[in-house]
Amino acid sequence: MKRETLWSCAALVAGLIFLSPVLYTIWMSFLTVDSYYSGDPVLTLANYRAAFGQYDFLRYLLNSLLVSGVVTLGGLALAVMAAFAFARFDFPGGNFLFAAVVATLMIPGHITLIPNYLTLANLGLLDTYAGLILPAISNGFAAFFLRQYIRGIPRALDEAAYMDGARPLQVLWRVIVPIARPAILSMGLYIFITEWNNYIWPLVAINDSDLYTLQIGLAKLYRENPGEDVINWPLVMAASTITILPILLGFLAVERHLVRGITMGAVK
Amino acid sequence: MFDTLKTVAATSLLALSSNAAFAETKVEFWHSFSGNSGEVLDGIVADFEAANPDINIDAQHIGNYNDIVTKLQAAIPARRAPDAVIMEVTRYGLFADRGVLTDLTDYLEADPLKDELFDFAREVGVYDGKNFIVPFNSSTPVLYVNTAIFADADMEDVPALTTFDEILSAAQQVQAKLGDQGISGIAAPGQFARWGLIMANESDLIDSVSGEILIDAPNTIEAYEWMASLVHEHGVASVDGVTKENNGRDAFLAGKVGMMMNSTGNYRRSKTALGDDLLVLPMPCNKTCAAPIGGAGIGILSTSAPEVKDAAYKFISYAAGAGSNAKWFAGTGYMPINKHTKDQPVAEEALKGEPGITVAIEQLSVARGRPRPPVVTWMRASEYDMWQAMALGQHDVAQTLKDFASQTRAEEARTN
Amino acid sequence: MHSRMTPYLLIAPLLAFIAVFTYIPILTSVDLSFREWDFLTAAKPWVGTENYRLVLSSTQFWNSVKVTAIFALVSVPLRLLLAIGIASYLVREALPQRLLRGALFLPSVTSTVAIAVVFSWLFATDYGVINAALAVFGLPKIYWLQDPQLALWVIIFVNTWKQLGYDIVIYIAGLQAIPTDLYDAANVDGGKRFHVFRRVTVPLVMPTTYFLLVISMIEAFQVFTVVDVMTRGGPAGATDMVVNMLYRVGFTLFDIGQGSAIAVLLFILLIALAVFKARVLGRRVHYEA
Repeated sequence: MKRETLWSCAALVAGLIFLSPVLYTIWMSFLTVDSYYSGDPVLTLANYRAAFGQYDFLRYLLNSLLVSGVVTLGGLALAVMAAFAFARFDFPGGNFLFAAVVATLMIPGHITLIPNYLTLANLGLLDTYAGLILPAISNGFAAFFLRQYIRGIPRALDEAAYMDGARPLQVLWRVIVPIARPAILSMGLYIFITEWNNYIWPLVAINDSDLYTLQIGLAKLYRENPGEDVINWPLVMAASTITILPILLGFLAVERHLVRGITMGAVK
Repeated sequence: MFDTLKTVAATSLLALSSNAAFAETKVEFWHSFSGNSGEVLDGIVADFEAANPDINIDAQHIGNYNDIVTKLQAAIPARRAPDAVIMEVTRYGLFADRGVLTDLTDYLEADPLKDELFDFAREVGVYDGKNFIVPFNSSTPVLYVNTAIFADADMEDVPALTTFDEILSAAQQVQAKLGDQGISGIAAPGQFARWGLIMANESDLIDSVSGEILIDAPNTIEAYEWMASLVHEHGVASVDGVTKENNGRDAFLAGKVGMMMNSTGNYRRSKTALGDDLLVLPMPCNKTCAAPIGGAGIGILSTSAPEVKDAAYKFISYAAGAGSNAKWFAGTGYMPINKHTKDQPVAEEALKGEPGITVAIEQLSVARGRPRPPVVTWMRASEYDMWQAMALGQHDVAQTLKDFASQTRAEEARTN
Repeated sequence: MHSRMTPYLLIAPLLAFIAVFTYIPILTSVDLSFREWDFLTAAKPWVGTENYRLVLSSTQFWNSVKVTAIFALVSVPLRLLLAIGIASYLVREALPQRLLRGALFLPSVTSTVAIAVVFSWLFATDYGVINAALAVFGLPKIYWLQDPQLALWVIIFVNTWKQLGYDIVIYIAGLQAIPTDLYDAANVDGGKRFHVFRRVTVPLVMPTTYFLLVISMIEAFQVFTVVDVMTRGGPAGATDMVVNMLYRVGFTLFDIGQGSAIAVLLFILLIALAVFKARVLGRRVHYEA
């Protein structure tokens, strides 16, 4: 027991050292600019007030939550349905279509950047939430991952449900989804995090600062106009903290879920 | 199908324009000013709107000059370009050439502003004989000196800093005396200052009259060799400022660098940071006295509706007027572009006891405009990598510039 | 039970999105790669293979291919080696292991932009913490992100720091899936710890390794954000990845034709890589029944 405690402390210290860049960021976000440049720490909340107030990070935070949330739900819905079809049905062209879905994993997102930009421009969807969300909805990885997972679920369960007269969507919803919950949850987290951290697409697609996500807000703050302000590092660090923190807190809340979920599909 | 679409489009356009006749005209305006100068600009916008209640200026801070070029170019196929946009004085030629910007010659001819603008300021807006932008903020690089650092390095009296050699030896003295305290002699010159130093060496990147590419001219090579040697040979400039231009300026403002060559747009901020320790000198005159005129003007997009263009021009003219320009000059350190600016009380106030600004204004007598053919946009975007390779001693200066010059010539042939 | 249309209806929404936002754009990119366009004009003149000729003859392109390959070939094996080693220590479900696991995993879910911003500052030459720490020991400052010999390694370090936890967690799951009696058998045979690791652990987590290899290789060849924020491909092209060059040519220089040509070339490269992996590596693992 004592040994355990000791090891826990050692692990904690090792973990803190590993995370020290993040921890230092948080510390720095509370320093005044002057004290940062002079080296004598003076604590303040002014950076957060500036970030949330003058620099609109509250709005960016809500935008990030909204966009990532909708992308996650939509992405999961599409992926689960497709994964179910690929795992459970033998249909002409099925292998080809599955290959077409998996192949999207190999495709560099940037090849689609200019064309998607032009597509959304033609649809008049740039500078809208839809413009942020639509191109991110299809997720080949989630479909691939869930298909592997669903294949591991005994077919006998589906058969039993079909015997009882269930329709395919009911089988999916009542049999497959509950069993695949951990995998779906982990994919959901994966999609959410990916979308949360997405930066090149919103950078290109969004001009209206009311629609900025946190990544864009932060990148923009970091790359201040060269003809303008001195880099206010403590403010940048406050903005970084705001960008990191929701994921960090969410992570602490669902860590076990997340880890358990992620691992279930990756290793069979 | 197409006809239906056309009808729909035409009807909605009609609806839009007839609406506009009653409602206020909205002008979307992209600019590059944030922080302190952003606030000054917002003030000018607010004053204009108060005087013109039927016009609403939707001013948006887009980013720096590079960001504006990028965003504007990206906005064209999306048909979401603004109505008015700030464009840096060497980088609007591309947009003028491709018909993106409205020819403002007729507007300016009919505007008394035309005669109020200094010649140098009006000239920056002319491309191919026509006026495409009206100047808003004007600047020139100057040499900023931290006299406290110089004093610590046994240069109580700041020595003459007019030739490359004099600057180098002062930087070396600072570096030798204070280098171990983390203070460096000079900030690596940014692109604007580099261009200035090339001019001071009696050369240019592109000849402003003939348009000839001079990137590999002997005097250009010599200037780059000197600039690069500050970093990798003499070690008097930190490489931090090479990879990110702002770092050099930040270090100067933080009191860690003896000298910096940078835009007058940094004056107000440097004064705040260094107070009386700040000394402003003209750019060096190595082979000749010359400096580039920088800054930006405001252009109007050719896609905007006629009444929006009229409203936008009204604003542009107002922003360049003596009253606005005086506020702008006093609040930022950008130079006056209007002959009557200095007569405005705010400007008089700002000029008092600020010899730094006077230096910049006096330097205007040797300042010149720079060429702005379409290829300049490409050249400026590409120059950063070339400079890094030279300053970090990765590539031979002469060879790099020869290659860069031939690439630029090829690009010019392709795009002009 | 269900109609023959059912599977098609189920996959239709996903395929529709993939078609509109992935496959058709690829065709558009291919088309644009044969044209000259700067976004500003209505005309997009056809220039044949000129863009490909320019890209393939430019030293910048080959430099970016080289840099990306070094990045991928160093960082991926490095991550996997570290991850499997650390994972084998953290596999137990006890408090210390879980704490450390949590700490290691955290960076992989946080914002890349934020991490890149933070590390740009840590590695800054003049007021970076790392150089300040070196100065305490009387060591000269190091130009981490300005020295072309070093910058790529800093990028690899940051990327490894950020992504390692993900690999570890996946490996731990793989390890936990190994029936413990296999270990018992190996231990009964008097296996040394490393021996057991090599003979039992490594082969049995091969499917996990393959999974991670595929994922991280694809990711490595598309790395962009860290580089864009920290070095923008500099100094002097030392960290210029293919996607960074693509972005620069396409969205800074607005040479849509050449940018599209680079995108198409990267696309071909990744497909070739995937085929190679399936052919060569795929044979050596048994991922699924």
